[in-house]
Amino acid sequence: MNSSPHIPNWLGVLASVLLVGIAIGVSVRARLGLTKELVVAAARAFVQLVAVGAVLTVLFTRAGLIGALAWVAGMVVVAGFVAAGRARTLPRGRFIAWISVGTGTAVTVGVLLTVGVIEPVPSVVVPVGGMVVSGAMTATILTMRRLAETAQEQRPDIEARLALGLTAEEAMAPHLRRSVTVALLPAIDSTKVVGLIALPGAMTGLILAGVEPIVAVRYQIVVMYMLLAAASVSAIVASTLSRRALFDDADRLQRLPSGS
Amino acid sequence: MALAEAFTFHDVVLVRDGRRILDSVSDHIHRGETTAVVGPSGSGKSTLLRLLNRFEEPTEGVILLDGKPLPSFDVHTLRRRVGLVAQRPTMLAETIGQEIRVGRPELEDDAVVRLLERVALPEVELDAATATLSGGEQQRVALARTLALDPEVLLLDEPTSALDDRSAEAVDRIIGSLVEDGLTAVLVSHDLSRVVHVADSVLVLHQGRLVERGGPGDVRYLS
Repeated sequence: MNSSPHIPNWLGVLASVLLVGIAIGVSVRARLGLTKELVVAAARAFVQLVAVGAVLTVLFTRAGLIGALAWVAGMVVVAGFVAAGRARTLPRGRFIAWISVGTGTAVTVGVLLTVGVIEPVPSVVVPVGGMVVSGAMTATILTMRRLAETAQEQRPDIEARLALGLTAEEAMAPHLRRSVTVALLPAIDSTKVVGLIALPGAMTGLILAGVEPIVAVRYQIVVMYMLLAAASVSAIVASTLSRRALFDDADRLQRLPSGS
Repeated sequence: MALAEAFTFHDVVLVRDGRRILDSVSDHIHRGETTAVVGPSGSGKSTLLRLLNRFEEPTEGVILLDGKPLPSFDVHTLRRRVGLVAQRPTMLAETIGQEIRVGRPELEDDAVVRLLERVALPEVELDAATATLSGGEQQRVALARTLALDPEVLLLDEPTSALDDRSAEAVDRIIGSLVEDGLTAVLVSHDLSRVVHVADSVLVLHQGRLVERGGPGDVRYLS
């Protein structure tokens, strides 16, 4: 991990502060009033990334596979808090988010490790795990939000089905399918157009680090496939758990507080 | 069938968000009759109706069907025996044939046609789109899809309030003939004049309390 010709040294980083200066210059000239925010954002990025870099360096050299998986589990916990915060009206939201993101992550990372697609070392497991958790979280948020909204907007439809003796599962089936579909579209779309619109992160990183593009795409293909799996598993788990949370034991649709 | 009462209320209280929506309601709903529940909006009459198919649960008190508490029945079976028709019909399927079968997918075409005749829609095509129906026709299709479950009790929440007079009369006639055939009907309305000619007995709710009960000619709710 020595500095290669492709990676700027600290002097280079210092020089790049000039770019922040340009952004501030624009803000001042155009009277955007964003100077303070730009400075804070730039400073935060610096501090956060240096801190993460230091932690990861320790993690990669000392933690081993167990430590790396524990780190991924920590990311799942944080992602669960974020997802639940975006679907506040849903009962037991935090529990649903943790289980959904956790299952999507566990299945995906589990397959990657078992089949031997990725190496069981922290420097691989942690960044790959991060991407998986992030994809799982997005799908979980979309599913939970959509279902919480559906439960309110479609109450007459759902109750009409329940009144005909259908179970909550049957009454929600069409809405559940739609919610999961909507939650998976971003992952499917970005998989479809990958490479055509923007070069994705993993591949860009490898190319910047000096890997040949035709080699770098191998990693990106794996990344796209694993994100599809993580999103699908998380969305399905989130939809099932959300549906259960939306009904009580007499198959009554719960009244949720309005707003999200 | 031995019991004259379909439903019995014992001191039913329903509190939501700190408000007493229903307050110590005790009464009977007789089998084979049309009972109208009337009261101004916010009097708790729709909530009372939704208690009967367990869309709501009493905070206190108990409701009996055939002498047994409602929670002792399987809830899906209960909802098939006690069919609820909402104020505004929500169509659930593309075609009329599918709509009638939402609760009974195994129903044969001729059974579907008989149900449509029952609700005075003998002329409609089974594969016609539900979206093309008028409000009155949709309400009758919603009634038919509930009748497909072969219920003993029909719960009707302001079934004619969104309809023009002609459609309302048609729906009233259908309900009358269903009750003649042995069904029990519970009809909610804010307007006594709309139910006085179809009801056998009337319950008047005011601010969650049962304030009057009697024959349609006896209650004074109109004033």
